Amino acid sequence: MCSIHSRVVKVFKRLLLVLGAAGAVGLLARLRGKGGVPPTSGGWRELEGPEFR
Amino acid sequence: MTTALVVGLGAVGTRAARQLIDTPGIARILLADRDAEQLAEVADAFGADAQAIDFSPGDPLPGDIDVVVTALPAGVDHPVVTAAIAAGVPVASSEEEHDALEQLRALDPNARGAGIAVGVGCGLAPGLVDALARHAASMFETVDEIRVARTGWAGPASVATVRYERRVPVRTWHDRTWREDHPHSDSLVWFPEPIGARDCRTVTGATALLVDAFPDVARIGVQLGEPPKRTRLRRRFGDEGEWGAARVEVWGRRDGAFDCTVYGVVERTAVAAGAVLAVVGAQLAGALQPPIDRPGVQGLGSLVDPVPFLAELAQRGVRAAAFEGVAVA
Repeated sequence: MCSIHSRVVKVFKRLLLVLGAAGAVGLLARLRGKGGVPPTSGGWRELEGPEFR
Repeated sequence: MTTALVVGLGAVGTRAARQLIDTPGIARILLADRDAEQLAEVADAFGADAQAIDFSPGDPLPGDIDVVVTALPAGVDHPVVTAAIAAGVPVASSEEEHDALEQLRALDPNARGAGIAVGVGCGLAPGLVDALARHAASMFETVDEIRVARTGWAGPASVATVRYERRVPVRTWHDRTWREDHPHSDSLVWFPEPIGARDCRTVTGATALLVDAFPDVARIGVQLGEPPKRTRLRRRFGDEGEWGAARVEVWGRRDGAFDCTVYGVVERTAVAAGAVLAVVGAQLAGALQPPIDRPGVQGLGSLVDPVPFLAELAQRGVRAAAFEGVAVA
């Protein structure tokens, strides 16, 4: 009885660990987005002059 | 004496009314809103040049109006625009939701037949970015692709439209045909600082207005940023969205090479949208140069001359920027 109980607890702990790891990976992916609509280097300059270029 | 009727006094309409009062060519504005308390408050704040009137969508227009400016929740503009076309009065509308835009675009033959100009999607994006796309496209021999993105919203109605656009199936313009798709996942889009990179999702939005303006361009895409989460505080006190940003990328060939121009804007979304709406309204009324008199229902990519339009907005504090760096396809 005691052995069955400890096995259930162990499986439950592993399940929690797996769910936690999956959640962390999901959160990281969610925060980082897919990326890829750069530009990733350079800067912004206000449009000026008579032609606004 | 030039008179403008402003219908809808939310975050955008109130700012548009303020900008119109400050436009020298506009002598008087009439204000209408379903919230009588808000209407009286705004009319009092604007002084003797503003007058509150009892007008609701579906009513005939009052007489002696030179332009109608609408900043209403999605889908409410149609009866106002119909009444304006019937009365021979030009309209500037901030409508941005795709189904409502389709209904307004369906009025194009009526507007052309009556010789009336109707500007729709007069905001930050759609709106200012469409004019920027036209401006950028003038620097290319051929344009292959236009990508537009916006983050930010101008009041609760705008938030509701963004949420709706992001969750419904998408129609995109791909290889010069419409393609239907499920809602896409988010991707990062880089806006000018201090907004920076934001998650945005491809939506239908005002793609059709850009397709009308650039029918020969093979691919046109519109993306919207993630709206704020629903919270009890936001439900109770609302969320005006504060700062927003927009960006337009135009890809094409110039001087025999494939190249890209990227323009962006950072501004409080309601302020930018209000300024754009007011400038278009004033040009439609002939109170600002150059006047707009091209009949039909159109977005700003077709309707405005970009350089004087950008110059007028810059005078009002809404300034665009160009990206200088390495753009990656």
